[in-house]
Amino acid sequence: MSTVAIIDYGRGNVRSVANAVEYCGADARVTADPAVIDDASHIILPGVGAFGDAMEALQARGLPEVLHRQAFEKGKPFLGVCLGMQLLADRSTEHGEHAGLGWIAGEVVRLVPGPDALKIPHMGWNAISVKKPHALFEGLYPGQLNFYFVHSYYFRAADPGSVVAVCEYGASFPVVVGKDNIIAAQFHPEKSQDSGIEVLENFIAWSP
Amino acid sequence: MLKKRIIPKFLLRNGRLVKYVQFFEQEREAGNPVSTARVYNDYGADEFIILDIAPSEDSRQGVLDSIAKMSEQIFMPFTVGGGVRTLEHINDLLRAGADKISVNTQAVRDPGFVKTAAQAFGDQCVTVSIDYKAFAPGVFRVFTDGGREKTTHEPVDWALRMQDMNCGEILITSIDRDGTLSGYDVDMIARLNEALDIPLVVSGGCGGLQHCIEAFNAGASAVGISSLFLFTDHSPIKLRSHLVSNGINVRASTSSRN
Repeated sequence: MSTVAIIDYGRGNVRSVANAVEYCGADARVTADPAVIDDASHIILPGVGAFGDAMEALQARGLPEVLHRQAFEKGKPFLGVCLGMQLLADRSTEHGEHAGLGWIAGEVVRLVPGPDALKIPHMGWNAISVKKPHALFEGLYPGQLNFYFVHSYYFRAADPGSVVAVCEYGASFPVVVGKDNIIAAQFHPEKSQDSGIEVLENFIAWSP
Repeated sequence: MLKKRIIPKFLLRNGRLVKYVQFFEQEREAGNPVSTARVYNDYGADEFIILDIAPSEDSRQGVLDSIAKMSEQIFMPFTVGGGVRTLEHINDLLRAGADKISVNTQAVRDPGFVKTAAQAFGDQCVTVSIDYKAFAPGVFRVFTDGGREKTTHEPVDWALRMQDMNCGEILITSIDRDGTLSGYDVDMIARLNEALDIPLVVSGGCGGLQHCIEAFNAGASAVGISSLFLFTDHSPIKLRSHLVSNGINVRASTSSRN
């Protein structure tokens, strides 16, 4: 059975992620403890809130180094969710400029309402288009690719090769990015009913 | 494109779901919150709103327990409100599994609270709930304390002020229309949609499938529905298919698992 470390740095709705992972039949450990993280087979970095504040919270717990070792030296399957996706970028311009983890090249910038005067946050269910087949979406047919989003900033990927899926809201923007054993989604699989549960099941079964 | 949302909105009193007409009349029992949430998850509702209408120290723990139970079984977003006055309370609700919290009375008492909460937890998780009522034809005022206290605020001005405080979403409820099944306040929805840059959830008065189409055409991002689902034979499934066949952009189907 997969053991999934769900990184708890005092921000966001970790319980929902843990509940969804348990529902998928894996063992969920909500933790910031390096030893527990080291024992896990898979890692999820969730997060809700402001970028700068979240980076500080990760650093205060020494987590950037711990997570880096797990993802890059041990090569464990790693999933970033929402803010946990954005934190993988080089930097963000949310309330000032903040450095990110710099795992996937790109920056996090604000969504702009555009000529259609779209509402921001981008909140609710939206369809995604998968640009590059990925284990995360295996077995999902196109009509199922609707997920729950809530965000005002997005991940502008520097390398188009890292973009796995995009979504349309005024313009098209990356919503799933990844490389090797690292994958990250702007939407909330733990809040996306059946489609989200399938994505999490796929992640838990993933051995890149 | 982003889909329009169907949101069952339920009121909690002493741990049970209840429903009134115009906030105070004809109390009706509407079931257990956790099992009801499960049913509406299976029905493929897009979100869930739960408001504690008689908040107290006791009810607060009860709501947290209900949220925690819901979040073990249902994997959809929910907004929780009623008696939210402190950052600590917000944190408890979010940790229990809520995705958004809604503030009403406290926002009027201290508008800066909304800004502080948005800064601490993210704009997207702070919904400002606005209950309003006509006190002369075409003249509306915001009410607090579950519809008991009248304020001097006009709903559109108030919504704009709350948007400036960085809330992520506005939820409006017409007290006059609540529970009457007489249709949404389409004029107010259109005025708010025109004024606001953030999503607008509308409630109060939904009594038929056509009412939802009217609300969406007037610019609502989401429809909040109580009586229509609780006391008629309509369901989110039926509503969804009606909306799809009328060209409204909602999720066409929600379930895939067997």
